[in-house]
Amino acid sequence: MDWYIMQIMLWLIASLVSFYFSLGNARVWTSISIGFFLVLFAEVLPSALPFLPGTDIPHVEAMGYIVGTIAILVMSHGFQEYYVFSRTLEFEGSKTFVYLGVLGVIAGSVAFLLINPAPTPTTLRIIRIVGLTNWVFLSLINIDLIRKIYLNIKDTPIGKGFVAFIVVFASIFLWKGSELYLEVYDLVNLADSYPFRYQLSVIVSNLGNLAASISVGATFLYLARAMR
Amino acid sequence: MFQLPRGNPVKENLNPGKINLPEAFAKLHVGNFTGYLRFDATVGTGIVIFANGKLISSLFEEEGRQVVAYDALARIFNQALKGRATLNIFKLSADLAVSIHALLHGEMLYRAQDLNIIDIRGLLGKVKAERMTGCLRIYTADRTALIFYRDGDPLGFFHDGSTDIEMSADTSMSVARLPGAKVDVLSTSKAALDELTDLMESANLTELWIKTRDALAAQRRRAQEEQLQNSTQQNAQRKERLLTMLKETAGQRLGKVGASLVEKEFSKAVNGKLVFNEDDFENFFSQLSIGAKLVAGPSTVKEMVNDMRRGIKPFLHS
Repeated sequence: MDWYIMQIMLWLIASLVSFYFSLGNARVWTSISIGFFLVLFAEVLPSALPFLPGTDIPHVEAMGYIVGTIAILVMSHGFQEYYVFSRTLEFEGSKTFVYLGVLGVIAGSVAFLLINPAPTPTTLRIIRIVGLTNWVFLSLINIDLIRKIYLNIKDTPIGKGFVAFIVVFASIFLWKGSELYLEVYDLVNLADSYPFRYQLSVIVSNLGNLAASISVGATFLYLARAMR
Repeated sequence: MFQLPRGNPVKENLNPGKINLPEAFAKLHVGNFTGYLRFDATVGTGIVIFANGKLISSLFEEEGRQVVAYDALARIFNQALKGRATLNIFKLSADLAVSIHALLHGEMLYRAQDLNIIDIRGLLGKVKAERMTGCLRIYTADRTALIFYRDGDPLGFFHDGSTDIEMSADTSMSVARLPGAKVDVLSTSKAALDELTDLMESANLTELWIKTRDALAAQRRRAQEEQLQNSTQQNAQRKERLLTMLKETAGQRLGKVGASLVEKEFSKAVNGKLVFNEDDFENFFSQLSIGAKLVAGPSTVKEMVNDMRRGIKPFLHS
């Protein structure tokens, strides 16, 4: 099976499971699961299926990166809310607000792209680097946040699910971190000069991507089972 | 318990708790009443004797101990105000009233001698030989007769329905013939006969009444406060046990987050109350379920809430 097809299959499963999970569970899970759901559309589809119609349009490519950034921001916000809940037992808001809020931010981003000049390759690279930076650093922050959440709720039915989330973000860190490394040092264009670094980064990125997609799907399946 | 003949009943089975006794005594004083008032309380019996309107004697017997004069009046007031006494008022002649006063303050020589066993002839001979002044009290459970002696010679008889010392021995002897009849031999105190003072003149009975009433009111208040305090303590302990039960139930299903959730929602639900009913917990279960669903699935939460619903039943105020 083609490597990209396998990736897309795994992320499709993970995204569907996480989206389904967002419908049937408490509000605080909505941000987290919607964030993972967006990964499919923002990160995986454009890179996994480069032959999709329209993916070569600069606005679409830019939007893909932006939605990717929105995805990590939304899920980080969800984990922050969960951490606050695990510490104070207080929570607020509604699922509708989360769905509409995410849609509003996406719509605002589309509008922002449309009122500005068409992104050049440099602009696209900068947007991609900004997105990857967010992924890398928020993954690290989320690992720490999830560790703290786990310590607070480790004796609940879903406690182990947060250990799995640490694995998820560690995989994402490797995946996005190696991509950020490739972008920052422009190793794609310098592959001949630094073949080992380039190859290692690509392998780590692919393995991270694979591990992330498997662990996300498995984590949400575990959570869905634990929260029946 | 005093065994005195009933005399001529004036009022019977009154509740002295509903009467202002100093005022009632004042009316008997003004009306030159002669006779005695008998207070039967659960703890003892009180006798107040009037002769020509003077309160000449008061006595209260409780668990075999006797108190007299003001102490007796204080005990009578106390029992009357507690509402645990009945009052009977009997009219007597002045001589009889004084004789009974002397008798009450006299000395008990023989108590509760069974008339079937005792040598009554020998006893009467002894009374005569020793020139005794006093009284033979012959009684059964519900009837009493007194035979008064002065210097060994019989003076007369007093029995139920008499107002004066009578010369006929028939009624008194009929009591003696009743099954289970007993006799007490009492010597009369001559000093008591000589020193007849009016207790109403030498003491302020109204003040004693008010003091007793206030003391009782304070005692009742203290008792009520103690009861309230005990009840508050019991309710607080019950509330603590209920909270512990709820926390343990939540802890088993949701760990320490569950116990903390219970603590938080419980304080909101009972809102400082110590006694609560099922309605107080509806919002508690609803809020707890919302919080619990962040760490557990609906079926786990439902099972937990069902366990809690069963567990709280013994703690609810019906």
